Amino acid sequence: MPPSHELFAIAACYAFWSLAPTGSLVRPGRQEVAMRAVIPAPVPGLDLGREYGHHQSPAIRAGGLIFCSGMVAINPDTGEREHGTVTSEARRIFENLKLLLESAGSSLDRIVQVHAMIYDRIEYDVLNRVYRQYVPNAPPARTVMSVQIEAGFKVMLDVTAAA
Amino acid sequence: MTLSRQVIDPDNPSLDQSQKSGLPLSPAVRGGDFVFVSGMAAIDPATGAPAHGTVAAETRQILTNIGRLLEATGSSLAEVVKVNVLIYSMLEYENMNAVYREFFPTDPPARTVCGVKLIGGHKVEIECIALA
Repeated sequence: MPPSHELFAIAACYAFWSLAPTGSLVRPGRQEVAMRAVIPAPVPGLDLGREYGHHQSPAIRAGGLIFCSGMVAINPDTGEREHGTVTSEARRIFENLKLLLESAGSSLDRIVQVHAMIYDRIEYDVLNRVYRQYVPNAPPARTVMSVQIEAGFKVMLDVTAAA
Repeated sequence: MTLSRQVIDPDNPSLDQSQKSGLPLSPAVRGGDFVFVSGMAAIDPATGAPAHGTVAAETRQILTNIGRLLEATGSSLAEVVKVNVLIYSMLEYENMNAVYREFFPTDPPARTVCGVKLIGGHKVEIECIALA
């Protein structure tokens, strides 16, 4: 049974914006509204497409939300994989998420949902200990699952935030 | 403001596995600005039968079917914002990725890939969120 805070859902605010940066999709009749925009990596290491050939954008902004690709522990400056413990990987991921979300005008406080993937359920409490440090107040809705993660990582976070 | 919610009926009923198998899910649901597509496994669009194959073949079949489903709703693969790919083994990541990139030639969606145990003998399952 998940702790009750996992059931704490934050309603997403729907907001429109008027920028139409590169990579945006603009609907006919709604020219002033960029419906879908790629959020570029704020630092080279967060572009997994370029670093590792993953065919994905770091994040997409659409309909007032930001959808982030699954994030693993990558050094933001060098792009090198930083395998470690659940704690060290989760810390690195949150630091990178902060960079990514803030570059798009959002923040860790504005995360609405997290899918937290770990390599083994036995580390659930370890994940929680570090996780709560980064979302101390009114934490986002969350689901934790144990799965196989790319390249031998122990943690991956899949995040949706309010733009 | 109350957001709308509408179940999407695929124009090809073979793609509606929920109806075929009596499962309690809709192939896709429109909610607010988005269409949420259920996890899809490889299905032969002519017969509705499972189309088991390699990771590459299943990925191709699923993305083709999702493209048709989205187009029937007035959306398209170009309007997909997030994709979750579930594969039976992360060793096959690159086999999925190589086919996947053909379907999203520019500005690909945000994506999460993970290795899980799938039901029905499938190797790949893909779910996505697109703009309505």
